[in-house]
Order: sequence, then structure tokens, then C-alpha cells
Amino acid sequence: MVGFDFKDLSAEAIRFGLAAKDFSARELAEAALERVASVDEQVNAFLQVTPDAALAAAEAVDAAVASGNLDTLGPLAGVPVAFKDNMNLLGTRTTCGSRMLETYKSAYTATCVQRILDAGGLPMGKLNMDEFAFGSSTETSAFGTTKNPWDLERVPGGSSGGSAAAVASGMVPITLGSDTGGSIRQPASFCGVVGVKPTYGLVSRYGVVAFGSSLDQVGPFARTVRDAALALNALVGHDPLDCTSQPCATDFTANLDEGVEGMRIGVVPEFMTAQGLEPEVGEAVLGAIEKLAALGAEIVEIELPNAAAAMSAYYVIGPCEAFSNLSRFDSVRYGYRDPGHADLGSQYEASRSAGFGPEARRRIMLGSYLLSAGVYDTYYYPAQQVRTLITDDYRMAFGECDCILAPTSPRTAFKFGEISDPTTMHLSDIFTISINIAGNGGMSMPLGLGSDSGLPVSAQLICPWFKDENMLRVAAALEREYGTAPIAPAFTDAVASCDTQSVSFGEASRNEVRHSFPDESAASTAETLADFGGPASLSGMEGE
Amino acid sequence: MKTMEEVLRDWEAVIGLEIHCELTELETKMFCGCKLEFGAAPNTHTCPVCLGLPGALPVPNKAAIESIVLAGLATNCDIEKHTLFYRKGYMYPDMAKNFQTTQGPKAFAMRGWLDLDVDGKGAQERLDVRDLEVGARVQSATRTETGYTTHIGITRIHMEEDAGKMIHIGGGEGRIDGATHSLVDYNRAGTPLMELVTEPDLRTPEEARLFMQKLRQVYLSLGISDCSLEEGSMRADGNISLRRRGETELGTRTEMKNINSFKALHDALAYEICRQAEVLEGGGVVVQETRHWDPGAKHTITMRTKETADDYRMFPDPDLAPYDLSDEFIEGVRAKLPELPDQKAARFQRTWGLSAYDARHVIEHRDTAGFFEVAMAQAGADAETLAKPIANLIINDLAARRSADESFDLATCPFTPARAVELAGLRASDAISSKQEKEVLEAVFAEDKDPAVVVEERDMKQVSDAGAIEAVVDAVLAANPDKVAEYRGGKTGLLGFFVGQCMKEMAGQGNPKLINQLLAEKLSV
Amino acid sequence: MASHVTERDVRRIAEYTRIGLTDDELPQMTEDLNNIIESLKPITEYDLEGVEPPFHPIGDLSNVMRDDVEGTSFTQEEALANAPAVQDGSFLIPSILGGGDA
Repeated sequence: MVGFDFKDLSAEAIRFGLAAKDFSARELAEAALERVASVDEQVNAFLQVTPDAALAAAEAVDAAVASGNLDTLGPLAGVPVAFKDNMNLLGTRTTCGSRMLETYKSAYTATCVQRILDAGGLPMGKLNMDEFAFGSSTETSAFGTTKNPWDLERVPGGSSGGSAAAVASGMVPITLGSDTGGSIRQPASFCGVVGVKPTYGLVSRYGVVAFGSSLDQVGPFARTVRDAALALNALVGHDPLDCTSQPCATDFTANLDEGVEGMRIGVVPEFMTAQGLEPEVGEAVLGAIEKLAALGAEIVEIELPNAAAAMSAYYVIGPCEAFSNLSRFDSVRYGYRDPGHADLGSQYEASRSAGFGPEARRRIMLGSYLLSAGVYDTYYYPAQQVRTLITDDYRMAFGECDCILAPTSPRTAFKFGEISDPTTMHLSDIFTISINIAGNGGMSMPLGLGSDSGLPVSAQLICPWFKDENMLRVAAALEREYGTAPIAPAFTDAVASCDTQSVSFGEASRNEVRHSFPDESAASTAETLADFGGPASLSGMEGE
Repeated sequence: MKTMEEVLRDWEAVIGLEIHCELTELETKMFCGCKLEFGAAPNTHTCPVCLGLPGALPVPNKAAIESIVLAGLATNCDIEKHTLFYRKGYMYPDMAKNFQTTQGPKAFAMRGWLDLDVDGKGAQERLDVRDLEVGARVQSATRTETGYTTHIGITRIHMEEDAGKMIHIGGGEGRIDGATHSLVDYNRAGTPLMELVTEPDLRTPEEARLFMQKLRQVYLSLGISDCSLEEGSMRADGNISLRRRGETELGTRTEMKNINSFKALHDALAYEICRQAEVLEGGGVVVQETRHWDPGAKHTITMRTKETADDYRMFPDPDLAPYDLSDEFIEGVRAKLPELPDQKAARFQRTWGLSAYDARHVIEHRDTAGFFEVAMAQAGADAETLAKPIANLIINDLAARRSADESFDLATCPFTPARAVELAGLRASDAISSKQEKEVLEAVFAEDKDPAVVVEERDMKQVSDAGAIEAVVDAVLAANPDKVAEYRGGKTGLLGFFVGQCMKEMAGQGNPKLINQLLAEKLSV
Repeated sequence: MASHVTERDVRRIAEYTRIGLTDDELPQMTEDLNNIIESLKPITEYDLEGVEPPFHPIGDLSNVMRDDVEGTSFTQEEALANAPAVQDGSFLIPSILGGGDA
């Protein structure tokens, strides 16, 4: 029995605790392993737990502490971290939630994973996801669904559902996810945690199995804004192995305490009246706007006139890139090989048919069609032109504001199987997709619980290119208002091996403020459910 | 089947080439840091990128981009500043990502040209040119003293990556047809590969052969590739169609892929010309297809390939940044341009008075050009006198040795530039006859001795002493009075007989020029 | 619902992408693809005259290259570690043109 409540520890508290020798990194690793062992049976966030790697990393941290070299350790020293299962970590299985890669063992380590390790993080394992990140609920994983810790009958969102659920259930303080159209922000919203999709190019994509190469971006999940900022500090910086990676010298923790006074916060009126936006979400977002105004921010209305085209541009560009990226899974060098074929052609077809789930097969075929001769000019080229328009929209908007505040998802977490209508399913990503098209940074910030559902609701913060510190600064201000995101109630006390009595530090990381929606006044959003302008239907297609 | 010459009387061949060249002189691959090395153990020069492992990303090799810009400048191309890499999708096991990273509508180098000088037997293939007056033109060809020159347009040179290598097991002679299994080695996968595409400006197999040869000379001079045809670092696809003379529309073409020798390129195209003519003259139609040249059987056959769609689903590669080459970059590359083969030939003409024909053939190989330059330096004051004889040694004797022996290596053979100067000097001073010159050359190669030593040992100095020769001439004439009479009666063909008799008397060492001269004088009296 | 692709088209796409599709699966896949393609209509209705595509979210990225310096390569064993079948240091695949033994 360790003398601390592991699940409540933030990365920052872990550092203090290590310095004060309240616990060792080994104890942290063991506590995290116990926590996973006791909790994950219900949540199913982990596809693979890596105790050996975690304990080996912990040993290195403890050796540094013992020799008085704690300062030489990175900002995440001793912090248990887990990774979405599309991130390569040498020697671990990297399945992407797909039968295709069920037995695939990484031959190298992704840059983002390496940077977490270099910062002293303890690699706890790999997390469930929609197959190849195609989905918004983690229901398309070939290895079972992940449960939302707030309500085990509900989805955690997706595609980084395992990453969100692992943090929300207090199994690890920090996880990494990837976001192609909302795959970090939407599950963060459903699970009530902080989830950051940095500006495209801020975090290297090298070693992260590609879905949409021009859309994918890696980012952290955490329960506190500061932990997310610390993780981001470790992740960013130029990687010579990724042509699209950019240099960055920002300390994302530097301005968290500055407050929002004088900041210009952009609000998009069309977003607040969009079709499918649930009243409790709209209320919460309006409440956040009022709070920010009260804190001295200037609220400005901005226009994103082409935002409506983002959805269809996304469903052209995403599948085209996915089709091409997934063509390498051919049963020759790695991956599932259907046995017993005398010729390569039938082996290809049988392996790819059995290895890919239905959603992956649909996307691959759609992308192939959209890139075919004659069709390319009808969809792909215009989709890229639309990308220019949307990017220009954001550039114009950020001439008038420092950060945009919007809903993350139009609704709270839904039940397994509840959404069979793909039109409703795709709306999960209606507010997140355009940010991937334009490449800006975006994050989901918990705003307490919905007045109706009692489930987590969130705001999305969107920043200009490479000004991710702007949104983290606003997020920190909101966190001070709403309190630190709590562990889902069902998992607050359910841990056998943690002594909840003896927490002697890091009060800031504990649940000081119970989440509740603070303002009941903003109830008028439901009256005008104007068409936000997404495509009439995206049947058969799930967002991410 | 008719001969090619017969066919070409009625038909015109229209030929285009696509010539692939690996940048073998670079250290690493196109998009990753794996070493470029031919013949290594399978799959030992591989990494996540060139194996196409999930999550790996490409980063272009700057030296490869410099190399292709250099190649473009050397072939009179415009350098496109704004270009993109594209993904060209096709599922084939030698392509690790199942797409090839290549360039789209715009290549780094576009709209270039090379001029070809065609002479000798090869020039005879161009029936529409060979009977023209010197200076007259037809299409882009101009008749010259020794043959003709022709202007060949280059559509583009683009940058791409090579595929891996496959070994097919169970079929005949390693062929894919009939194989039960194949083995894939990705060492070659990702090798930087330039593809040059010509305009359909070539008209004969000889022009195609010469174009590839000239391009090889250019690339070699740039030091960007070993251009080894044997190892496949340079290879050509040839496409060819026929049309009736006077027609301007193109006929249906066939394509022959991965031709890896100059002779095969010539012979495959020549065969296709004859085969297509037979089909067309028999009332048939040429099928657009890829055919395989079998050098052993000396014919082309339809290549059995797995049906692959022509639609490659090309789109810009989102993992790679666009190119926006600066003037500074381009000028920096231009500054590295070495002397090109044409420039070298012009300099040889200018400096040492070589004819255009001699200069062109002396520089045909990098080693012979270097050999010639060293020899000229060593010849000192005699350089201009010895230039032509040494050029002849290179063009005739050394070329014959090279074509007789594939492993011939000028750099390590006994015949050094210094010995060439010595030999040419002996000949130029009439110390030996031209026949003796050949013998000495043979001996230099066989015995690794200086020419002067050979001449000394074999006591084979040419007698050029006019008095000594005159004595022999007089004796021969005196011994054959009847023949002298016949000669003087008009049978002048007997001169050869007298020369032969004199040479016999002098054991072959008499200066034939002097013998001829003296005989003519004395017989005409 | 407008028909953008026929079952025959979808069969050809499946062959191109090397995804085996049974006759039973074909109608549903055809319907799914038609629904999705129909939903992409807005993209075809924009006035995009003169708009240049960026092909990349971060527009000013260009000329990213690396120096020609050798890096680390796999050993043969590492390269083949995930291979479904191996022979003589190479990846083993069945007959490309057909006619091999299973």
C-alpha cells in the first residue's frame, strides 16, 4: 500500500513529490499499474499495458533523484503516460485498433513518444481507438469498445476514446491522442478532460500511423491545463524526420496565470445556432463567454463565411489521404496475411478484406474513387480550393481576436448504439473539422456538467497558427472559474490500493470545486436551429 | 520479314525514350538516410521509411534535388522553381508504400534538348538524310560532311524513387511468368531516380542508341551517377510507332521497358520496326502494349503482366513540402556545372586542331578523353602534330579493344598516355611504318614495354634513308626488266608489285612513302 | 438518391484498392458510397474561380530537405521482424501472376 492517492496527482504534483521524496518513481509506476489493473476492467481504455517499460523508465528517474540530479530530469519525470495505439513505441504492439495490425510490433519509436520518454515520462501502455482513427466513438475498434467513465453505458467519443477515458478515470494523468477532424477534442469533451490539438506542424507526426497526413496532429489529454501545457512543452519542436514539423521555443506554462483581461475572444454566432447543438451545451458555452467577459476579456463577433464547406472538404481530403496512406497494408512486409493463397492478387484481396473493418474499407474505396481520373477535378481539387477559403477565413478572423470560443461537440456523450443515423453521428465533429482543414490549434476545455444530462460539457478554444499559448491562457482562466476537471465520480473512491487519507501536497490538483453549471440564464439557443450548413447527409461515414 | 532498310524506304519510325538513371554517386536514398550500395545482403539497407512501415515519413535528399537541377542545366532544360512531389498509386510488392513518390505535371527540369551527331554506318539508317547535300535539312536533321546532326527535344526530367528488387522462383530463368513465389529485397527501394522523357523526335534505332549514349556521357561528366547499364543504374524504355513516309499523324506505339544495353536498345527498336511493318503491311493493326526484348532470341514478345490500371490516382504528397527554388539555389548549382562533353569536344578541336569527328569520338568515353588530355600534356611542343595520330589510336585501336573485351580498362592497361606519345612520335617521324605501329602496339599490350624498347628489341626501325632505298629500288628494277617494260607500256597497276619486291628486300622496314616516290620517279623516266 | 457509382464501378474500385468484396456486400457498399458522394455536393457548388489550392494547411512551408548524410538502417533481422513469410533474407510472397502453390 503506497502512502499517496495516485489518481489525484497532477504531473506538477508528481514533480514536487519526487523532489520531496514523498514517493519514488517506482512507486508511481506501481501505483499506476495497480490503478489500471483495478479500473480498466470496466473502462477498457488500454489495449496493452507495458509494466516492464514503465518500471525501467521509473528506475532511471529514481537513479537521478538518488544522485541529486532531479533538475536534470525532464518536466514529466515520473509521470505515467499512455499512448494512443497509432503511436509507435519500439517493441510494443501498435494495432491502430485494427485486425490488420493485431500482431504488429513497432520497429521504431515515434518522435512524440520519444519526447515524452526523454522528458522522464513513464510509458504505461497503448490505448484503444477507432480503427485507424476512423470514427467518433471508439466503437469501430476491432478490440472492443471503451466505456465513458462518467457513464459506462456511453461512448467515450473518438477516435482517441481510450486516451480520454484513461485520464477521466484517473488511470494516468497524461495521455497522447491524435486529431484529424476532432479526435482529441471530441472525446476530451465527452469525458470531461482537457484535450489539445496543437497547430499543425507543432508536434512531429513521425511514427504516428497516418490517417490524413495534412490533417493529423498529435496532442495531450490531461485533467489540468498546466499538465497539458507541460506535455506540450515536451512534445513540440522541430523534428528533422517530419517535413511538416516546425520549430517552437514557447513555454506553454508561462502565461497560464496571466488571466484574460484585454484579450479579444472571438465568438461565431452561426456556431451558437447550429443545427443539432443541444441546449445544455449552448448554455454552457454562453456561460463561459459571460465569465470571460466578466474577467475582462473583450468578446467580439467574428465571421467564418466558408465554415459550412469544411465538412464536405474534409470528407474529400480525409478519405483521399487515407486511401493512399492505407495502401501500404498489403500483407507483404507486415500486417495480417490471409493464409493459403497461391497468388498474390487473391492474398491481397483476402488480407485487406479481412484485416480492415467496414469503415476503413469504405474510406479506402471512397478515397480511391475521389482520386480517379475525371473525378479528381470534381471533388479533390475544389476541396483543396475550399481549404484556401477556410484558411483565409480564420486568418481574417484572427485579425480581430486572439482566440475563438465555440462548442467542442454539439452534444454530450451518447449511448452505445444510440446513434445509428450517421447524419447525427457526423455532427459530433461539426465544430472541430474546419480547424483541421485550416491547420489552427484547438482544444477542448471542460465547463462542468450539462444542466440536462449531467454529463461533461465543454468549450472549444481555437488559436491562430502557432499561438497555442493563447488558447491555453484562456483555458487556464476558465479552469480557475470551473475548477480542475475531476475524475469521473464512479472512479473517485473505487481504488483498493490507494490510501486516500494521506495526500500531503498538491492541493491545487485536487477537486476543489465540484462541477456544476454556474449559470442557468442562457437558455435561448434552442429557438433557432438554423442549418449550420454541413452537407445534408454523410451517410455511412463517421467523423473523427 | 523485310530488312529495316527495306521497311524504312516506305515507313518512318517515330521513337521516344524514357531514360531512368539512379543517382548512385549520392551517399543516401531519396527520402531516408539509408546508404546507397549495390549488391549488399538483402534488406540490410532499409529503415522505417523505405520499408513503408506505418507512421514513417519521407524527407527529401537535398543532394538529389541539386543533382537533377544540374542534369537539367546540362541538357538545356528550363528549371521549374515551383514544383510538387506527387503520390502515384499502384499496388505492387516492390513498392513499399504501394505508391511511388514522383513529380506531377511540373518536373524540376523541362523543355530541354540535346543535339546528336550521327556518322559512320549508323548514319545510313536515316534514308531521308543520307542522300542530301551537305547543309540541307529534313525535319530537325542537317546533313554534314560525315553524316548528319539532329536536334532531340527533352520533354522533362523528373525526380522519383526506385522500387525494390524481386527474385522470381519456380519460373524459367528467374522470370515472373510461371514463378510460384517471389522474394522481395528493399535495398534498392527509395534510390533517387531521375526519369528523362524525350519528345518523339528520334527516327532511327541508331539515333535512340546515340541519344542514350550521349546522355550517359553528360550524366557521367556531372558525376551524379555511375550510369551502369549492367547494374541497372541506367535503363531505358523505348516506345516506337510507324507511319507512312509523308504522314504526320502518329501510329499506334508499342513500348519496350527496362532495356539495359545500347545494343539491345538499337536491336529491339530495329526488330520492332520490322515487326510492326509486317503487321501493318499484312493489313493488321499494331496493338498498344508493352513488349519484352529477348536478346538471345533477338525478338520481342508480348509481356504478360498483371492487369494494372493506368489510373494512378495521382495527388500531391501531403507529407512533403512544395518546392520554391530560389535563384540563389539554381545559380549555386549552375556554378558546379563541369565542362560538358560537347564543350570538351569543341575545346579539343580548338586547342589541338582535331576534326569534329575525331574530337567527338575521342571524348566518347570519359577515360579516353582523359587519356587524350594527359597525352597532349606530355607531348609538349609536339602536341599539335601528335593530336591526330593519338586520336586515331584512341578511335580505332582502343575502341576495338574495348568492344572486343568488356573488361578492358584503359586506366590499368599497359598502354599509357606516355607510351601513346612515344608510339605516335615514332610513327610521325617515319621511324616505323604504319604496319609496324600496329605490331608495336600489340607488343606493348602483350609485354608491357615501352614502344621504343619494342622497336629496339625487334630491330624494326623503318629505313627512311633515301640512298639506301634508292639502291634497293634500282636493284629491283634491274632484276625485272620485262615488268618495267610492261609498266612503261601502260600497265601501271604493276607499281604495287615493285613496292612489294622492295619491301621484301628490306624485310618490311623500308619507308613505303619513299619507296613509292622513288619507284614512280624512276619508272616514269 | 442520385447514383454516382454503379455496382460495376464499385466492383472496379474494389479491384483497384485490392479489397475483396463479395457479391452480397456489393449492393450495400454501392449504396453507402453513393450516399457519401451525394453528401459531398456542396464542394461542387462553390464559386472557386481563381482560388489557388494550398495542398497543405501551413501555406508557407517550402523546400524542406535533409543533407545527404547516412543514418541508421535496420539489420536484416529487424527489417524482417514483422514479415508474414521470409526466405533468404527477403520477404516471401506467393506468385505475382498466379499459378503458384498455396
